[in-house]
Amino acid sequence: MSAPKPPKGHFNILYFATASSHTGKDMEALPAPLPLRKLFDTLEERYQGIREAVLDHSLVTINLGYVDMPSSEDEDGEDNVTVIQEGDEVAIIPPVSSG
Amino acid sequence: MQNGGASSDQNGSISSVPRDTSRPLTEDELDRYSRQMIVPGMGKEAQLRLINAKVLIIGAGGLGCPAAQYIAGAGIGTIGIADGDTVERSNLHRQVGHSTSRIGQSKVSSLITHLRGLNPLPTYVAHTTHITPLNAADLISQYDLILDCTDNPATRYLISDVCVLLCKPLVSAASVQTSGQIIVLNCPPTPQGQLDGGPYPPCYRCCFKKPPPANAQLSCGEAGILGPVVGLMGVAQAGEAIKILASALHIPTTTTTTTSPPAQGVPRAAPVVEPTLLLYSYSLTSFLSPFTFRALKMAPRKKNCFACGEGSKQRLTLEGVKNGEPNYDFFCGLGGGGPEKGVLSEEERITPREFVERVQGKDGNGKGKKYVVLDTREKEHFSFGSIEGAVNLPFGKLLSKAAQLKRSGETPKVGDILPPEIQVRDGHGDKDIPIYVVCRRGLDSQEAVEKLKEMGLDNGGSRKIVDIAGGMKAWKEQVDPSFPYL
Repeated sequence: MSAPKPPKGHFNILYFATASSHTGKDMEALPAPLPLRKLFDTLEERYQGIREAVLDHSLVTINLGYVDMPSSEDEDGEDNVTVIQEGDEVAIIPPVSSG
Repeated sequence: MQNGGASSDQNGSISSVPRDTSRPLTEDELDRYSRQMIVPGMGKEAQLRLINAKVLIIGAGGLGCPAAQYIAGAGIGTIGIADGDTVERSNLHRQVGHSTSRIGQSKVSSLITHLRGLNPLPTYVAHTTHITPLNAADLISQYDLILDCTDNPATRYLISDVCVLLCKPLVSAASVQTSGQIIVLNCPPTPQGQLDGGPYPPCYRCCFKKPPPANAQLSCGEAGILGPVVGLMGVAQAGEAIKILASALHIPTTTTTTTSPPAQGVPRAAPVVEPTLLLYSYSLTSFLSPFTFRALKMAPRKKNCFACGEGSKQRLTLEGVKNGEPNYDFFCGLGGGGPEKGVLSEEERITPREFVERVQGKDGNGKGKKYVVLDTREKEHFSFGSIEGAVNLPFGKLLSKAAQLKRSGETPKVGDILPPEIQVRDGHGDKDIPIYVVCRRGLDSQEAVEKLKEMGLDNGGSRKIVDIAGGMKAWKEQVDPSFPYL
């Protein structure tokens, strides 16, 4: 099953749990292509404070598969080359702790 | 303990069930488990593996109750339940192992009472305590498989770390509001630090490296939870546990050579490491949608993981955990500085009692409108009532409006931020009418006061913006004991 197709030149981004409450959205379409390492900056620009409140501890998937977020701590920068393509589906998944 | 793991368990003190995979089933067992034993892939051996297994359920709440019901029903031979809480009325909409008549009892004994009714055959072990760095290893080492049914990040990291150290598989689930998550971790159990010949299964830290900041950690008491959402996750945990035990996937991989004989004569295909996180997103306003369930492919054990990656044996040890290293509370932002700490000055705060005596007065706000009350709780909380005449602007909305304005670079006007009730009066010459801000427990309201001032809405100090200290909780205690505070 999949979400509605994003418009031409865009990718879908899905927001779960606190990512959804922070953005006030379940999903939206953003312009593609976008290098993965620019994703958090792009979101921070749109939703001030989201990096610290949500993104820094969330996991990110592209097309239902986990991706390592490139960070300065990583010695092996092999993931720095990942680019989000038109039609991709990205998801921001914060951990849930309660029960 | 490390070599052979569960299969070499010599500790017969807990379980009265012999760990024998060839004995005949009793009449009671044959009858009781008949419907599950005839399912393709099950059969007698699988059932005996369940009967011989020892499972620890940590947390007897919204996840633990439904999980325990199916664990007990399936005939797991030894079932440990760990929890330090007592049953409260507000638990019962989701914690289906308790009952109204057992309010006030320990959750562990209440749940075991319920489980014995379902199935008297298993050995039930009560651990009437919360899991802590001091007791975690002692508890977990007695079992073959662990279910994390707890409710906070610090405990989740602790349980995962100790499961890595003791080579135990972990079925971890969590749920709040309308979201649920479940993942099987460290299964098949793999010695800490082993990376060659992988991929190996991830631990909790491989998936979630950092906890959310303390102020973003939502509890069910604060944020709410729907019964079926957490229930579904708990049932799924039992499903995963039964699968792992019936298929003998819980027996540790002790060697990387492929020529080693299968453990205990159990025929085993090479386990495939395909860690998957199942997300459940429930919506109160739409039917089953494409977003409802999503299975996400997770990464295997990470080379740089603190707990199970390269060099982890030097960083994380059983000894260390017992001695407070790592410090889980500190890691999860819970160290020091209670949440009640005030950020505002005396003049910026007023107690509910003072508010009634000095501000509201005998005639209330009346037609003249001496002040406005801004209630920053969520609209669901507000729907049960507030201070007379209060207007509702949920804290999150206030923050995002403020951020939006800051981005646009314009000077904010009261009307841009506050609901129209306030805006109108502002435009009618009541420019400096004071604003009193109230929330649930008095934390958000203080930040709201600061935010409003930061945006200049105090008109350079001529408009008073004041926090009602302690929120509606204090209001109920000091002013109106019948107030429906949730």
